[in-house]
Amino acid sequence: MLTQLSQIIVSGLAIGSCYALIALAMVIIYKTSEVLNFAQGEMAMVSTFFAYSLLSTYNIPFIIAFPLTLVFSLLLGMLVEFAFLRPAKNPTVLGLIVITLGAEMVLYGFAGWKWGAETKSFPSPILDTRVYNLKGIIISQLNLWIFAVCISLMLILFLFFRYSKLGVAMKATAQNQMAARLMGIRSKRILSFTWGLSSLIGAVAGVLIAPITLLDPNMMIDPLLKAFASAVLGGMTSLPGAAVGGGILGVVENLFGWYVSTEFKSVVAFAIIVIVLCIRPSGLLARHYVKKV
Amino acid sequence: MFTKSFKNSLIVLTLLISLTLFFGRSIASEVGISEDTIKIGQWSPQTGPAALWGAVARGTETYFKMLNAEGGIHGRKLKHHIRDDAYQPPRTVAAVKELVGRVEVFGFAGGVGTATGMAVKRYLNDQKIPWVGPASGSSRWANPPTRYLFALYPNYVDEATILTTYAYETLKKKKIAFFYQNDDYGKEGLIGAKKTLEGYNTKLVQEVSVEPLDTDISSQVLRLKMANPDIVILWLLPKHAAMTMGAAAKIGFKPTWMTTSTLSDAPMMNDITEGLWEGVIFDCFAELPDSKHPLMIKYKKAHDEFAPKERWGMFFYAGFLFAEPMIEGFRRAGRDLTREKFVDAMETIKNWNGGIGHNITFATNQRQGQRSVFLGKCVKGKAVKISDWLEVK
Repeated sequence: MLTQLSQIIVSGLAIGSCYALIALAMVIIYKTSEVLNFAQGEMAMVSTFFAYSLLSTYNIPFIIAFPLTLVFSLLLGMLVEFAFLRPAKNPTVLGLIVITLGAEMVLYGFAGWKWGAETKSFPSPILDTRVYNLKGIIISQLNLWIFAVCISLMLILFLFFRYSKLGVAMKATAQNQMAARLMGIRSKRILSFTWGLSSLIGAVAGVLIAPITLLDPNMMIDPLLKAFASAVLGGMTSLPGAAVGGGILGVVENLFGWYVSTEFKSVVAFAIIVIVLCIRPSGLLARHYVKKV
Repeated sequence: MFTKSFKNSLIVLTLLISLTLFFGRSIASEVGISEDTIKIGQWSPQTGPAALWGAVARGTETYFKMLNAEGGIHGRKLKHHIRDDAYQPPRTVAAVKELVGRVEVFGFAGGVGTATGMAVKRYLNDQKIPWVGPASGSSRWANPPTRYLFALYPNYVDEATILTTYAYETLKKKKIAFFYQNDDYGKEGLIGAKKTLEGYNTKLVQEVSVEPLDTDISSQVLRLKMANPDIVILWLLPKHAAMTMGAAAKIGFKPTWMTTSTLSDAPMMNDITEGLWEGVIFDCFAELPDSKHPLMIKYKKAHDEFAPKERWGMFFYAGFLFAEPMIEGFRRAGRDLTREKFVDAMETIKNWNGGIGHNITFATNQRQGQRSVFLGKCVKGKAVKISDWLEVK
């Protein structure tokens, strides 16, 4: 009984870490520009497809293909910002969010046209079927990697935003773009970098998730929704919050699927958000901001 | 009151409209038919979540190209009009209305999807437009039967009944579990399996479901494992079936897997599961990809000539299968074709084996054309036939 419970929690944490990774990418953009990026999932999906092409069409070893994918995703993120968001004149935040929806559709259509709709397996050297058995609790090599990457990325980003000059500049741009610009921060360049960074984290998530979810243009629809839920749960601006939110979501979902019913397993995620937002409107780990008018 | 010029323009407009209508009708005796063409419409998802099944429409297109190259039907060439509905029922409705109203098609062949087809089923029948071979195994196409709709695809209830009977009687496995997609598709399979087991006074040992877009199925697979079944029947999307194989291998769960015709593309499934599909038993409603059936050889040739870039898979040549009875109907109805004559001709098709399906039969109150399937198994990455054609008793 205890083994089963532990197994469910471990599986929950494994999938929760995937949500958390994408949530981190969303939070970064939200922190700097208050824009919810709905193209996040498709940006990650396109980067994952890029990795797939390198690995299976050109037979480039993973160790080289992976850094190349990261560079590609960085450029992709910057391109999306440059091509879609920057041209908007005096945009409202809502307007920008709608633009990201448009970018999402463009990328989705592009992937369908370029790589087709057939599901493909992702040739990753890290396997989900290579497993370790810890006293009856089974955990795969891939799960361990996802945990590790998720936690280290969260820490690195947390330190980056707190202590590095660039990170502080990003936060400054978020709080008041005009003031930041007056202080000598090149806010446009900062925004562009933010999108690149966020896309890069998305790509890491995509490459890690792809062996489980398999590769097709729809692979990110559900993870993106769950990541969004995790980010909201954690407070939208908090990096540790996103990670914790993802973990909680994954575990609760799995517990519900095991003890109650699999039929409403997915719905439960969204029920949790409603409950949390009723009790703590700013999320679990974010400080409540009141903007002065 | 109205000004004089307004009245005049109204008269001119009315005249114009009646003239176009008059000419539109006077060219041929029936809508969608001219001296040398028959217009046929089809909807399918070429983009969106179900784009994989778009191959069906491209298969039908290749089939028509092949027939046209042979000279067409009674001197008429087939003109195929495909519309992409991205698997969204509102877009299906728009596409069908455009094909009926503006393009003026004679009828529809194929038409992919359950929800999409349901959205236009009633409209097409009310407009008395023939529709042959919906590419979906819902039992609601033919129950209750309607005059202008001819279903072909053996329905999911029948399929599940045949699979469960085979598991229980031939394989002698009594502990059966069921993993289904939580919608019409999955639930119809579930009903078939449950009813069959009720007949043996027993029950499924476990039933679990998944939503179409879910990415995590670990708790479902764990629940299946805990029930310790001999056989697990899957009624899922290809992607979820592949994920199930991965998740089961991970926790060392090795039952015999069985699944529906929707997942009968064994080479593809073997490929995306990286070999875990080995040994899976599935049912098929048409010949296998490397079948030596003379028609399959002919169709493969048409594929190589007209659509060499397409993968020669089950979905692609299913596009041939779903349109075959329609062509047979045209042949039987003769040169002097109308929609009513076509429907009457379709009703004369009895135990017809002139295509790659089996024993296709229609009658006045019988609109489910095919009710038989055979079983296949994935052996070394290939589909191998393991039974004869089986029918629900």
